[in-house]
Amino acid sequence: MANYFLFLYDDPSGWAKLSPEEMQKALEKYIGWSQKASNAGFLRGSHRLAEDTGKVIRGAKVTDGPYSETKEILGGYFLIEADSYDQAVERTLDHPHLEYGGTIEVRQVHPMHEQK
Amino acid sequence: MSSSGAGAQPGVGQVSGSVEHLFRHESGRIVSYLTRLLGPEHIDLAEEVVQEALLKALQSWSYSGIPSNPAAWLLQVARNSALDAIRHKKVSVDKEPALVAEITAASRTPPPDAVTPDAKLRDDELRMIFMCCHPVLSPEASIALSLKTVGGFSVREIASAFLADEATIAQRLVRVKRQIRDKGLSLDLPSGFDLRRRMDSVLEVIYLMFNEGYDAHQGEDLVRQDLCFEALRLAELVAASSMGAPRVHALVALIALQTARLSARTDGFGDLVLLGQQDRSRWDQRLIGVGFHHFDRSIAGKEISPFHVEAAIAATHTQAASMEETDWPLVLGLYDQLLRLKPSPVVALNRSVAIARVHGAPAALAELDLLDHEPALKNYYLLPAVRGQLLAEAGQREPAIIAFRRALELSCNHPERRFLRRKIEQLE
Repeated sequence: MANYFLFLYDDPSGWAKLSPEEMQKALEKYIGWSQKASNAGFLRGSHRLAEDTGKVIRGAKVTDGPYSETKEILGGYFLIEADSYDQAVERTLDHPHLEYGGTIEVRQVHPMHEQK
Repeated sequence: MSSSGAGAQPGVGQVSGSVEHLFRHESGRIVSYLTRLLGPEHIDLAEEVVQEALLKALQSWSYSGIPSNPAAWLLQVARNSALDAIRHKKVSVDKEPALVAEITAASRTPPPDAVTPDAKLRDDELRMIFMCCHPVLSPEASIALSLKTVGGFSVREIASAFLADEATIAQRLVRVKRQIRDKGLSLDLPSGFDLRRRMDSVLEVIYLMFNEGYDAHQGEDLVRQDLCFEALRLAELVAASSMGAPRVHALVALIALQTARLSARTDGFGDLVLLGQQDRSRWDQRLIGVGFHHFDRSIAGKEISPFHVEAAIAATHTQAASMEETDWPLVLGLYDQLLRLKPSPVVALNRSVAIARVHGAPAALAELDLLDHEPALKNYYLLPAVRGQLLAEAGQREPAIIAFRRALELSCNHPERRFLRRKIEQLE
């Protein structure tokens, strides 16, 4: 069993067009996914990142973010457990973020840090 | 403000079922609240700020779950955005310092499980409805604006309810907001005779909104049901206020009793089910309860409005165990009364159905012939459809088929088309 980070990138232009009712529907789907993952016992945690663009430090030089130039913004992450990348991906494929046009990056936490 | 995602293990386990239409309803309340503070000329800003707050909620709560007081959370975030907008001079608002002070003070008071702030918000919502329904605005504009601001509907949702394109609705909203600015409409409630007149137009707009949802000739079913429920919510809001006169209760009763039967009007395949064949166990007992509660309150005064009579007709249907056990002479008597109060060819058409039950199909057909030259019914599919039904009952097979075919030529929705085709097949 290993831990995997799911980094959720938002495309802000996609959300702006949703009506309040559609936003609530979306929220219910997101929460539904967390609930399911939690019930199945593989959700370890999640955090939403603040909405600013953050800071980037290179050498001693500090600039305003974001780090990458893409129009997608890293919005938050989930930490899940899985046996393999295949299983981690499989557990992520039904995340509603994908349905709403977002991107999810799946990254395994280095196995050396898994030993407790 | 409590930031979400700060807990040790957020997002896990603590998510609970959200309140139905929470976003839509809170959107309406906060837009109304901010419009009172910013002034009606800044509805756009209020809407923008609320949209932003909802988006922030969506993005935070997806990770952290719904907070214990979501309404207070949204209100607070919207207030902060409004303050930002004022400070950054995105808008020039009169009385700016006073305004900033008011919003800031409101933010400092810990929001509210107490009754007062909630009642205050309801009051703002009510004022907003009364402004949206000002008699100088056209009913179509009033409906669209009410749905957009108080109802929390998007332009696309309003468009799909009215089967209009989005650009038309968007233009209608721009125009009506300009009218509000130009005519200097305010959120102050009128008094005396003006209040009575304003109330007439508020009730009329709510009634039209309901009818738009109930008479499903066109548009998406789900959105249309939402229109009925929104009309019910607005009517209940007015009824619960100090302005809740008997005719307001009659309107609530009418809407609740009709909406209670809404889901039984279509079967599992989305096909139309007429009253006689409806599974009455599918009628919504909660709404029927709401309907009768308000019906009782509506007869408190001496006044008899068309709403009273329509509510009484709906109540009579709701109380009957079947089509056969319905008190049709009473229904017919009520239609006679309604026709006197509100002479309309559509009412006359509905009355003919009651005539058929009491005096038989031939008598009803004679009444229908009188309606043939009504311009309002010229393209109304129900006129030939009802005639077809009555002719079929009277055993006149060929003329019945012709009438149903005529109905098919007029505009009606898919379930209605399938219904008419089935009728024709059965007769052939």
